[in-house]
Amino acid sequence: MPSNPAKLKVIWLQGITCNGNTHSFLNDPLLRSLLEKIDFLHHPLLPCAKTLKELVKKLPKSDILIFEGAYRADFERAGVRMEELLNALASKSKHIISLGSCASFGGMFKEADSEHISGILFDKEEQNGPLKEMRDKVITLSGCPIHPQWLSFVIEMIYAEKKIMVDEYRRPKELYGYLVHNGCLRNEYFEWKVDSDSFGTKEGCLYYAQGCQGPYTHGSCNKILWNEVSSKTRAGMPCVGCTEPSFPKFGLFTTKTYMSIPAEMPLGIPKRSYLALSGAAKSFHIKRLEGKLIDDNA
Amino acid sequence: MITHELIERIEGEAVLDFKTDKSGCVIEADIRFLHFRGMEAILEGRNALDALVITPRVCGICGHSHLIATVRMLEDLYKNMGIPLNITQKAESIREITLACELIQNHIKWLYLIMLHESNNLLAQESELSLKALFVASQVNQLCALFSGQWPHSSYALPGGVSCDPTHIEVMQGLKILAEVEKFVADEVLGCSLEHFSALTTREDLLSLSGDFGEVLRNFEALNLLDEGKSHGRFLVLGDEKIAIDQGKHCDADISLVSEDDSQTFAHGGKTYAKNALYNGEFYECGPLARALGSGYTNIAALYQSYGDTSLTRITARVNEILILCSQVRSQLSSLDLSQPSFIAPPPIESISGEGIGIVEAPRGALIHRARIEKGRIIRYSIITPTQWNLGNGTTSNLGVAQCSMIGAESIAKASLLFRTFDVCSVCTTH
Repeated sequence: MPSNPAKLKVIWLQGITCNGNTHSFLNDPLLRSLLEKIDFLHHPLLPCAKTLKELVKKLPKSDILIFEGAYRADFERAGVRMEELLNALASKSKHIISLGSCASFGGMFKEADSEHISGILFDKEEQNGPLKEMRDKVITLSGCPIHPQWLSFVIEMIYAEKKIMVDEYRRPKELYGYLVHNGCLRNEYFEWKVDSDSFGTKEGCLYYAQGCQGPYTHGSCNKILWNEVSSKTRAGMPCVGCTEPSFPKFGLFTTKTYMSIPAEMPLGIPKRSYLALSGAAKSFHIKRLEGKLIDDNA
Repeated sequence: MITHELIERIEGEAVLDFKTDKSGCVIEADIRFLHFRGMEAILEGRNALDALVITPRVCGICGHSHLIATVRMLEDLYKNMGIPLNITQKAESIREITLACELIQNHIKWLYLIMLHESNNLLAQESELSLKALFVASQVNQLCALFSGQWPHSSYALPGGVSCDPTHIEVMQGLKILAEVEKFVADEVLGCSLEHFSALTTREDLLSLSGDFGEVLRNFEALNLLDEGKSHGRFLVLGDEKIAIDQGKHCDADISLVSEDDSQTFAHGGKTYAKNALYNGEFYECGPLARALGSGYTNIAALYQSYGDTSLTRITARVNEILILCSQVRSQLSSLDLSQPSFIAPPPIESISGEGIGIVEAPRGALIHRARIEKGRIIRYSIITPTQWNLGNGTTSNLGVAQCSMIGAESIAKASLLFRTFDVCSVCTTH
C-alpha cells in the first residue's frame, strides 16, 4: 500500500430522516483523523465540495455512498426523486453504507406509511429494497442512531482495503456479533434472576419488568460505549432493540410474557435451558444481590 | 423577479421564494418546507410510554427537548387525573442538566457550522471545518450522556423521574467537562472572560471581541447585515415562566391563546407542509432572544434597547445563552443531592385517560406536545415546534417573523443569511 493513499470520495445522501445519524457522527472524538482519509463530495451539514443543488445536476462517481434515512421512491431531494437519485449514485459508487435503522430496514419512518417506505436493501426482514441488485456492495449499519465509531470503523476498513465480515443483514460481524446484553453492568442480576422493581436504581435486571431487549439485540453498545462514557442500560434505560429490523416494536417498555415466562427467549437459548437455569437461580436468595450496590449504612 | 432558493444545511432543506426589485432588493420572501414524515400519526394507537422513544426521533439535534416535552405531557396527564406525581429535586435537576447540554451543543454548532461558515462564504473568505467546535460539542454531549446514557436519542426520562442513578463519579466528571467547555467559550468563542462579555452592551464593544463570535459579527458588519433582520418586536416564552412581550411591554402568556394555522399548507392548496404557530392570532418570535428579554438579562435587554431585534441582538442573545446555561449546569451539578430517589413509580399508564400538555424551551424556542390518552393508549398527539413560530409563512399584510426580517435585504444571498440567524431546522418544522 502506498504511504499516502488517495482520500476516499464520499457522498452522504439523506432519505426520510431526523438527522440523528449525522449528529451522532459528529460526536466521533477522532473525527479529525477520519477526515484525513475521506473527502466529502457532499454532506448535508459539513463543508463539502458540492451543495445538494450542485450534486443533483451531475451525479458523480464516489468510493462510498452513505445513505441516511428511509427510502421512498417519490421522496425528493433538490427536486429529484429518490428512485433516480439513489439508484444512480449507488451504481456509481464502489461501496454503499446503509446508515441507521431507517436506511437499513425502514425503521421509525416506515411506521408512517409501511407500504411505500423501506430501507435501501431490506424492507424490515425482507431483502426487497431498491438496491437489492447491488447487495454485495452494501454494508448495513443499523441503529437509531448509529454509533459514530461503528461508522468510522467501516470507513477505516474500506480505506485499508480489508474484508468486512457480515451477517445475514450485511451488518459487520465484528460490531453486531455481540448482543447489547454483553457488557451490561447488570449482567449478574440477569444471571441470578434478580429483576429491577423500578426505574432509577443501579440494581436489578431490566429484562423482565422494564422491557429491556438487550438479550435479543445485536450491537456493541456495551462494548464501545456511547459518547465514550455510557449506554442506555448503564443509564438504567432498557434497550429498545433499535438495531433490529423489528424496531420500533409496539410496547417498547414491556417484555411480553406468557404465564409469567418471557414470550421470547434470549437469542438462541432453548426454552428448556432458560427455564431450568432461571428456575434454579430464582430458588436461591443471594443477599448481596438483593441489597443496594452502594450502601452507606453497611 | 422571482427566485426559488434552496436553503441547505438546516437539518434538511427549505425553499425560499424571493420576489426582488430591479436592484435585487428583496420585496417578498415566502418560506416553504417540502418534507413531511407524519410523526404524530406514528404515535397514535401506541402505548403512551412508546412516545418517550418515538418523539426524540423528530429531530437529530433537539431530540432530547422532545423527550422532555413528552415526559412533561405525561406527567401533566397524571396531574389532570388527580394524581400529581412527586418528582424529586434530583430528578428535576438531572433533566435540566441534560436539556441544557442539548441547547449548548446546538448553539455551538449553529455559531460555527452555520453563522461563521455561511458569513465567510458570502464574503468569499476561506472557511475551514471547525473541528475544535465539533470536538467541544461532542464533549457537551458526553456530559449529557453521563446521565442520559447517550446523545442523540436517549429516552432516560420517564414519568416519575429519570432512569439513571448517578454516583459522584459522574458528577465530578461532568464538572470537569464543563470546565473545559467554559474555557473553550472564553478562549475561542469570545476571546475574553465570561464576566467581561456579560458586561458588554454596545455594538462597538462586541465587534472588538477577538474570538470567533467577534469574527461572525465583523462578517455581518462587512455585509451590512448587523443592523438588519428586524422583525415584529413580539416575543414569546412558554417555559416555566410564560411571558409574551409586545414592543417592550411584558405580560403573562396564556397557553390557550396558542393556535396553529394550516391555511398555507398543501392540504389547503398551499405550497408548504409547515403549519404556522400563532399567539393571539399573531406571529411571535421565540428562542434565545425571547428568553433573554423574558428573563431580563441586562446585557441583552440593553442591546435590544439600543439596536432592536437586529441580527446583532439576535446572534448575541444566542451566544449569551451558552454562558447562562453553563453557569446553570455548574450550579445544578454542584448541588445535586444524590441521596434522593431518581424515580418514584407512578400508577400504571394503562390506568390513565385524559389530556396532557408538555412545554419545553428547546434550543430554538417554545416546543409544545399535547396528547389525548385513553387507558394508556395514544388517541391523538399534536406537536408545535419552535421553528413553526419563527419560520411561519404569512401573507404580505401579515408577515411571519423570519419573513419580516428578510424584507428589504439588499440581495437574496443576504436575506438567506438573515434567515439562518433564526437557527433554522427543517425536520422539526414539519415533523
